[in-house]
Amino acid sequence: MAKHILDSLGAYLDGELRGRELKKVETHLSKCELCAEEYASLKSLSEILEEAPLPDFSSPDRFAADVVLRLPRKEMTSIRSKVLEVGWWLAPVGLIAIWVFLGITNLLNDTLLIANEFGFLNSTATSLISSANPDAIWSARLGNFGFLAGNNLQWARTVEAFTRTTASHILWQLSIAVLYLIWIAVSWVRHEHRGFGKSIEG
Amino acid sequence: MAITTKSNLDQLVSSAQNGDRNAFSELVRIHSLGVRNVVYRVCGNRQMAEDAAQEAFIRAWTKLSSYSPKVSFKSWLYRIAVNAALDMLRKEKRILPNALEDLKLRDINPTPEAMLASTERADLIAKALSSLSDASRTVLILREYEELSYNEIAETLEIPMGTVMSRLSYARKLLKEKLAVALFASAEDKNG
Repeated sequence: MAKHILDSLGAYLDGELRGRELKKVETHLSKCELCAEEYASLKSLSEILEEAPLPDFSSPDRFAADVVLRLPRKEMTSIRSKVLEVGWWLAPVGLIAIWVFLGITNLLNDTLLIANEFGFLNSTATSLISSANPDAIWSARLGNFGFLAGNNLQWARTVEAFTRTTASHILWQLSIAVLYLIWIAVSWVRHEHRGFGKSIEG
Repeated sequence: MAITTKSNLDQLVSSAQNGDRNAFSELVRIHSLGVRNVVYRVCGNRQMAEDAAQEAFIRAWTKLSSYSPKVSFKSWLYRIAVNAALDMLRKEKRILPNALEDLKLRDINPTPEAMLASTERADLIAKALSSLSDASRTVLILREYEELSYNEIAETLEIPMGTVMSRLSYARKLLKEKLAVALFASAEDKNG
């Protein structure tokens, strides 16, 4: 006698078996009294369950009308949520655009400063750059009040200019990176909480 | 009477997602019996089932934007319905009597007439069902009453197929035990 197939009987009853597995169960049932009895009892259970009647529910039309009366207004929130959703997905694009814009601006600024150092710019452009370039304000003021002079003043101007440009570059790049990471984290949390219907688990 | 095809249903779902209340009303009408049957089997009480079914459809309406056609609308809706029914049971603190205790009490001195009365049998079955755990009862209801395939049950409850099979097997075994004394023997006799 082949091994009993009790574990497959439920799936057989429910029409979930196909091909070779189905054939195997059918053949076994025709030979094995124990499995045939178990199958009959499962079938009886299904028949018994069918005996539990359903109550007289209201008609589908009436039920649908009752439900629709209780539906909250959705049109406005729907449009608002769509706008918010689009805005949310555009946020990283905006961050990248800001990053590119600031990068190009700084690159241009540095290029113009270098060009000015080498005297490639005319007097008008030079005046524009020097008015827009507050790189060494504090060291210049210290020089004006006599606290710094000569090589010290030059050194202070260089350090201040470097700190202002490099530190600001690092700061804004870091800010954009942090914002982007926050966006990824919030997106992940939203994705994790989007599924529902798992309350019957566990 | 309009024939409801899958593409019609998809169209209705899509329209409802865009805020069309008439389309959603039609979806409610189409699925109202199925949803009420499921929640009634889970709750075991008509009024609670009506309330839970309404709640399920309202939840479905508010969450429609999150529905993705990767799963069938029916599975998605039934998942909401099952959860609404279980929430309702928790809220009502399971006002149903303890089914197992009830069965035992009735078995002390059963008369053949009483045991054969169909309402009595139905009552016992409903109570035996309600004595199963939520997880076992839900799988059994979706299979036995709604005749969902294992794949559809897995989709509805978001559990693996293997879990569907094991829960179903466990639920049947337990239910057979609970019903054995009162009903099962007489049913087997009847079947010959």
